[in-house]
Amino acid sequence: MAAAEPAQMEAREADLRRRLAEAEETLRAIREGEVDALVVRGAESDEIFALGGQDSYRAFMEAMDIGAAALDAEGRLIYANSALCNLLGLNAAELQRQSIFDMLGETAARAVSALIDEADGHRRSRQIALPCAGGHCHVEVTAAPLSLGFGHGCALTFTDVTERIEAAAAHESDRIGRAIMASSNEAVVVCNQDGHITHANNGVRPFHDGSTIGKPFDVAFPLDFALSSGLMAGSDLIGVALAGTAVRGVDATLTKDGRTRDVLLSAAPLRQTGDTIFGCIVTIADVTERRATEKRQALMVGELTHRVKNTLTLVMSIAYRTVAGAKDLADFRTAFGRRLEALAATHTLLAEGTWDGLTLDELINAELAPYVTVGSERVRIEGVDVRVVPDTAVALGLIFHELVTNAVKYGALSTETGRISIRASPKDGLIEIVWQEDGGPRVVVPEKMGFGQTLIARGLGQHGQQSTQVDFRPEGLVCRMYVTAETAA
Amino acid sequence: MEQAGNPLKLTLYIAGQTPKSVAAIRNLERITAEHMAGQVEIEVVDLRQQPQLAREHNIVAIPTLVRSLPVPVQKIIGDLSDEQKVLVHLKVEG
Repeated sequence: MAAAEPAQMEAREADLRRRLAEAEETLRAIREGEVDALVVRGAESDEIFALGGQDSYRAFMEAMDIGAAALDAEGRLIYANSALCNLLGLNAAELQRQSIFDMLGETAARAVSALIDEADGHRRSRQIALPCAGGHCHVEVTAAPLSLGFGHGCALTFTDVTERIEAAAAHESDRIGRAIMASSNEAVVVCNQDGHITHANNGVRPFHDGSTIGKPFDVAFPLDFALSSGLMAGSDLIGVALAGTAVRGVDATLTKDGRTRDVLLSAAPLRQTGDTIFGCIVTIADVTERRATEKRQALMVGELTHRVKNTLTLVMSIAYRTVAGAKDLADFRTAFGRRLEALAATHTLLAEGTWDGLTLDELINAELAPYVTVGSERVRIEGVDVRVVPDTAVALGLIFHELVTNAVKYGALSTETGRISIRASPKDGLIEIVWQEDGGPRVVVPEKMGFGQTLIARGLGQHGQQSTQVDFRPEGLVCRMYVTAETAA
Repeated sequence: MEQAGNPLKLTLYIAGQTPKSVAAIRNLERITAEHMAGQVEIEVVDLRQQPQLAREHNIVAIPTLVRSLPVPVQKIIGDLSDEQKVLVHLKVEG
């Protein structure tokens, strides 16, 4: 065997030394932890094995549903897991190419930058809104310091809290909705798409005994609608609302335990996001009292108009008759004035009782008071606690006025000894009122009928069931009037 | 100091995004930018993607930086955090 050339021998030795040094350096680097992956030569291909469980750690990072990223001190992206890529709608390569801050959008990028600055060695969290595939999502971002092989960086995690926030918002609006329902004085019910009641407040109690939940609206509230409403049943109202139209102020009646109430209904659709109607809300207000008051007011306005007309006619009549019987203007002024006062006294009494009629006692006191003390020796009253209707009261008031002025001028009250008795008593289903004078000057039948006598004779007119009788007895005038007693109110 | 016409050719072998691979890239970028701007041609080889390329330079441990030009070939194993060691091996004076 030929001796190897010395130069070749040297070169080979140098190569062996170099390879030995390289092998030793590799072992040292592995031993001292300067590498974290090894190439293992296989029969067909080489494989890469990570050291120190990095692979399993990375697999864990990839598997978790929280977005995670590592940034270096300059804010450049080192690593982002797949959850973060999904959240931002990008793949890992796109994220590596672009700055993560560009991907976050201006507002979120500013918030995350500020968070990283704030963190500065500590852990800091903040909630931000991120633009994402379906619009915006709410994300809780946490920044924490991260020690890297080449210096310090920052670990960012992105937890999607959109559902949590939406659930909290839904819970809050649900709570507000229930509070509104509970605080309403009206009955408020919520129906689902089938017209079954799902929620009801305490206001439904007057309309339904026990729970209404789960019952069809129609069954819970048997309503009768006014013809003008165009609705036949409660289900029609629900149908209109579920079709998307709000209905307000529909009149109906609701009968429960034999008592019928006037109610006012309103219904409106309940919409979810995307305009899907998932039910409706119905309010029922009891307006029985209000309707009764309205009817009463209408009646009173009609009544008042009627009375004003009658009164004006009466005043005209009094004026003509007084003119006919007056000696001069001064006489007219006195007589006309007093007659109007008599009329006014009755009206005042009636108005105080809001036109509910008044008693004979009240009437006699009002008309006679200016001339004589009622109930004294000279004027005795008996059985006068009888109510009369307003029209009768006006006529009687004027008659008593004429009787008492006649008595003062010519009759029992024109002397010191004359007396008057006024008695009321039932007779043949009517009330007979007898005005009787005694002890006055001798009575002479008048030659002509003045206004006073005409009024006395005819004043009760249609209000007197039996005509008034005036008897000019020589020892004193007697007047018998017949009225209907008002049915006790 | 190497001349612009005779640049350094460096190949960095990494394994995906292992911490030391990532650190090695960052450290190499910094060192070359500071000490040999414009004179170096760098290729990064991810052996997770292309494991067959390990044989060319007989790579065993990752990360490893190979200076293939100028010859002789030099290898630096680790994440290149020791800047002085890197500069000595690459024969570049700071």
